[in-house]
Amino acid sequence: MGVLDKLRLDGKVAVVTGAGRGLGRAMAIALAEVGCDIVAAARTRSQIEETAELVRTEGHPWPGRPPGRCLPVPTDITAPASVQAMIDAAIAEFGRIDILLNNAGGATEGMGKPVEQVTDQEWRTGIDTNLSGTFYCCRAAIPHMLQQGGGKIINLTSGFGLRGGRDNFMYTTAKAGLINFTRSLAMTYADRNIQANLIAPGLFPHDNPAMVEWWRGGKFVPMGRLGRDEELGPLCVFLASDLSSYMNGDILALEGGGLAGGHAPTGFAPLVLLEEEA
Amino acid sequence: MAQADARREQFSLQGKAALVIGASRPVGRAVAVSLAEAGADVAVSTTTRSQREEVAANSCANEVWALNRKGFAATIDAASEADVRSLLERTVSELGRLDVLVNAHDLPFAKPFQEVTPNEWRRVLDVNLTGVYLACRAAAEPMLSQGSGRIINVVSLLAERGMVNGAAYCAAQAGVMNLTRALALEWARSGITVNAIGAGWTEGMAFLANEDARRQLERYLPGKRLAQPEEIAGVAVYLASNAAEYVTGQVVWIEGGALSHV
Repeated sequence: MGVLDKLRLDGKVAVVTGAGRGLGRAMAIALAEVGCDIVAAARTRSQIEETAELVRTEGHPWPGRPPGRCLPVPTDITAPASVQAMIDAAIAEFGRIDILLNNAGGATEGMGKPVEQVTDQEWRTGIDTNLSGTFYCCRAAIPHMLQQGGGKIINLTSGFGLRGGRDNFMYTTAKAGLINFTRSLAMTYADRNIQANLIAPGLFPHDNPAMVEWWRGGKFVPMGRLGRDEELGPLCVFLASDLSSYMNGDILALEGGGLAGGHAPTGFAPLVLLEEEA
Repeated sequence: MAQADARREQFSLQGKAALVIGASRPVGRAVAVSLAEAGADVAVSTTTRSQREEVAANSCANEVWALNRKGFAATIDAASEADVRSLLERTVSELGRLDVLVNAHDLPFAKPFQEVTPNEWRRVLDVNLTGVYLACRAAAEPMLSQGSGRIINVVSLLAERGMVNGAAYCAAQAGVMNLTRALALEWARSGITVNAIGAGWTEGMAFLANEDARRQLERYLPGKRLAQPEEIAGVAVYLASNAAEYVTGQVVWIEGGALSHV
């Protein structure tokens, strides 16, 4: 089997949380395009219905395959019972879960505030959504993966999971937590053919508008632009495929080069010649 | 009080002999002076034979003498095996022993990548990286035979992060950082600790010569200011002291939070 054939994921079942819009929707469609059946989970039914429609029209785009299949399941990621019901529905519909893409989350609660002004409610809701939700999903899905002999877990972290941000507490904490949560998944299930890895996307156009504005639309990213939704899909497919079968507990950042720097402003480019030769 | 004195005593470098290569640059100079203030005798050297460095190393030695410590200044090419070997021999013969080696080698260089000649590349790697290897190897003999020693390598943020125009320098710095970890493991049972100090953007660094870029950088940093060389030097006293005997293979960052920045 050639290397590109390994990127065909025909008949695999992928659960995608936060699939109602943005990057989650883009990744759900990307997985469908390589043959996955999709379970689209998010809070808002109308949004995941829309995603499901896109999966049906754009999924499995080659002759001889039935149209893409997608089960939209309204889910509150912060409620363990709701998550369990979503995983149960996925198994009832498709009989297995090969890929769990924990994308739900967001930099909303308590952002832009110094820590002494963050409320209990903001902290709890934010951590529940960004960190605990991924735990609930893994806890519910992993038994099925173990039973079927393996699986792929893809968690979404951020540059803010690796670095700090001014007036950014809940999000940096949750995203950093996800990194070490994922490493422990890798340690725990490495010998049972489950691989857990992380994607760290940079700034994308549909992110929090205030944040996009703050970054001047990508001017301060070394590549000078924001990410594009369609750029995240292929990375997600790679991490869901056997091409990444020895990658475990690792982070792949797709962010235009920001993490290579960060210690000095973008564009900082001194010129110092060797004295001896000068 | 007696207990407090005993605690303080753990950090004293009285009776120890140190060699600081690269004391001709701001951070190396500050480290040399701090070690002397903590009681060590301190020999210092340049990293290249440039006249400017020679003047700076001599003035650093003067500061050491002013503290009533023994020491001398040597002008060497840190990439020359013969120069480094004779510097180490002179240190042991004039100071009687060698307890602390500080590799603050710094040949700054930044140029658009495609304009970097192979000779420039080699020179930057030779001084900044191979120079540290040569010094560690020359220090191995006295340190291994006395069963104790402290090696402290000074690197910068550029060991950990990239910089436009900085490929050669960044590669060398990263090399020193991981050389630190490898050698720490190799000598972990020989009584020699090998650590690195990761210096943030510090006053006097050659990369900050451009006034506009420097002001922009200061605004960007979490604390809105550069480090003073003395702020980098303090941890060298700790790492050189008996108090840090169980610390090895570490990079201690002193960078005002710059590495926390996305």
